[in-house]
Amino acid sequence: MLAVKRTRRLDPDPAFATAFRELAPRLPGSASEPLARIREEGFARFLALGIPTQRDEAWKFINVARIANRPMRPAAPTELPLDRMLPYLLGGPRARRLVFVDGRLQPQWSHTGGLPEGVIVESLARAAETRPLALAEALGELDDGRSFTALNTAFADGGAWIELPAGLALEAPLQLLFVTTGGEVPVMSHPRCILRLGDGASLTLLETHVGLGEGAALTNAVLQITLGSGARLEHDRIELPAAQGSLLAKIDGALGAGARYRQTTVVLGGALVRNEHELRIDGSGAECLLSGVAVPEAGEQSDTLVRIHHRAGGSHSDQYFKHVVEDRGHAAFAGKIIVHPGAQKTNAYQKCDNLLLGDDGEVDTKPELEIYADDVKCSHGATCGELDTVALFYLRSRGLALEAARAILIHAFAAEVIARLADPTARALAETKLVERLGGGLGSALVETVLGEAA
Amino acid sequence: MTKELRTMLTIENLQVSVEGKPILKGLSLRVEAGQVHAIMGPNGSGKSTLAHVLAGREGYEVTGGSVRFGDEDLLALEPEERAHAGLFLAMQYPVEIPGVANMYFLRQAINAIRKARGQDEIPAAEFMRKVREQARLLGIGEELLKRDLNAGFSGGEKKRNEILQMALLEPRLCILDETDSGLDIDALRTVADGVNRLRSPERAFLVITHYQRLLDYIVPDVVHVMADGRIQRTGGPELARELEERGYEGLLGTKLAA
Repeated sequence: MLAVKRTRRLDPDPAFATAFRELAPRLPGSASEPLARIREEGFARFLALGIPTQRDEAWKFINVARIANRPMRPAAPTELPLDRMLPYLLGGPRARRLVFVDGRLQPQWSHTGGLPEGVIVESLARAAETRPLALAEALGELDDGRSFTALNTAFADGGAWIELPAGLALEAPLQLLFVTTGGEVPVMSHPRCILRLGDGASLTLLETHVGLGEGAALTNAVLQITLGSGARLEHDRIELPAAQGSLLAKIDGALGAGARYRQTTVVLGGALVRNEHELRIDGSGAECLLSGVAVPEAGEQSDTLVRIHHRAGGSHSDQYFKHVVEDRGHAAFAGKIIVHPGAQKTNAYQKCDNLLLGDDGEVDTKPELEIYADDVKCSHGATCGELDTVALFYLRSRGLALEAARAILIHAFAAEVIARLADPTARALAETKLVERLGGGLGSALVETVLGEAA
Repeated sequence: MTKELRTMLTIENLQVSVEGKPILKGLSLRVEAGQVHAIMGPNGSGKSTLAHVLAGREGYEVTGGSVRFGDEDLLALEPEERAHAGLFLAMQYPVEIPGVANMYFLRQAINAIRKARGQDEIPAAEFMRKVREQARLLGIGEELLKRDLNAGFSGGEKKRNEILQMALLEPRLCILDETDSGLDIDALRTVADGVNRLRSPERAFLVITHYQRLLDYIVPDVVHVMADGRIQRTGGPELARELEERGYEGLLGTKLAA
């Protein structure tokens, strides 16, 4: 019995304990006793939970230990020049943003001034000073039995506290930009964000993860979202880790009655990108729409896990994920819909479409439905295919080279998700990076046309 | 005045199989610049196979014979190289490609061909002007240009879009594969007018059709009747009319027309 349990997790590398002892006195809020205690508890929980192996159903498709269970350090402070940061500053001239490099707030790129009264946008370090008890409570209340969440609670460095009062619609988008530079010894950062929208409040959140170094890096992010009744959150996520960079991102969210959460995630790059969602619909008439596209190339892995709990009836959820897997790339998707007893008139859909383009690529999809109510509409579906040879011929017969024709068709497949990004500058960045990745000489004309059409 | 004839396309004894089954069984044909050739034939005679083999579609095995386009060995070229050399196939079933904007596609195609011919990319304003002008002539609305390539287009809209591409890409040899199928009489006239506008001494057409009706509008110089993978008869426009009167069976006999 013990032996079986053992194989589901590995003991964390001793370097984590060394790093925690060394860092704990310097982490945000270390002077606050409740916060320090929450971190201690988090680290103890991390040690107890261990690193999951592929025997753990939630980590079935990827070997996370290979990436995450090794000696890592926080990065030394790095200065990045404007021209390297500029392409990733999104949201237009009116946007507010917090920028972190390797977990450190960069005040020179950040801008949170002039916000309406009652709006809070502050870094985690600032929140640890202004509201240590509330922060300790927020960190402590997320106990999801997941070791990387516990690790994040212990080490939380970058990140933000964001709060909108009831009825306030923030017109300007808010960007959270996380940049990692990487190092010879892999570097780690643990951004933790708390986002609360009061009843009827609305926000466009642009979350960007960018790798700008050659070295190895791990970002272990946790975002806790609470949406009040009728609140609206548009959440655009663009994840661009470098070749040796990895991202483990967990979103835990609760939706009140009539709330709408719309999230679109674009993953381009990264040794391993894992996006986890645990979303609870607690009120009727809520809408939860998740879309994502990932284009893993050789040696890259993208893994998405979604759990949506319908705990109140009359709500709608929709998951739509697409993957383009090139040679030796790997994409996995596991989506679960749980309709709790009494959540009648629930509509819940899930779809995962895949283009498998290399002989050595891998696609895994696992839909799960758990339904404890009898008057619901739920569906799931998955497809896996190659590029349409007739369409390829059609494009080539008009003079387009094979590589360009392929790139156009792959782009068309992925663009359907990119078009769902709420913010035009986020769409532009995703388009640019996708076209760069696809090659085929499409160049800027495609980006211009696509964005021109959108404009 | 004698007209100088320049040979554009020479097909000699072409033999093609699909999945081991012979479809073209020794087809020979010669098309001169400035000419319109019509190829008529019953279903299964190999008309569409000929069109696809000339454009370079996969799935056809050439087991014998040769095709020369100008002074090039056409069969050695990739589909895009054939387009660069000036060959265009207006397809019987144009492919729907959702996610690829029609305008973007047209511009990419024009630029790919210009690039292959050593020309600069088409300036944006000139591109817009040309597209709008041709679209207007073909009765293609602005809305259709903005949509994704052929996606949700009606049969007639797809065929008009093929002729629009043909007009913009300015090929030397245009192959029309059953362009009349699925068109009502008004659309047929618009499409035929589009083709007739493109007729020139430098350009040749191979018009593949099952019915004589299209040839009332696009009047051919030469008519071939194809059956059983070969050209069975060749004549002038009067051959199409004879066919209309007597039918394939009357013209070719029961065995070939089946």
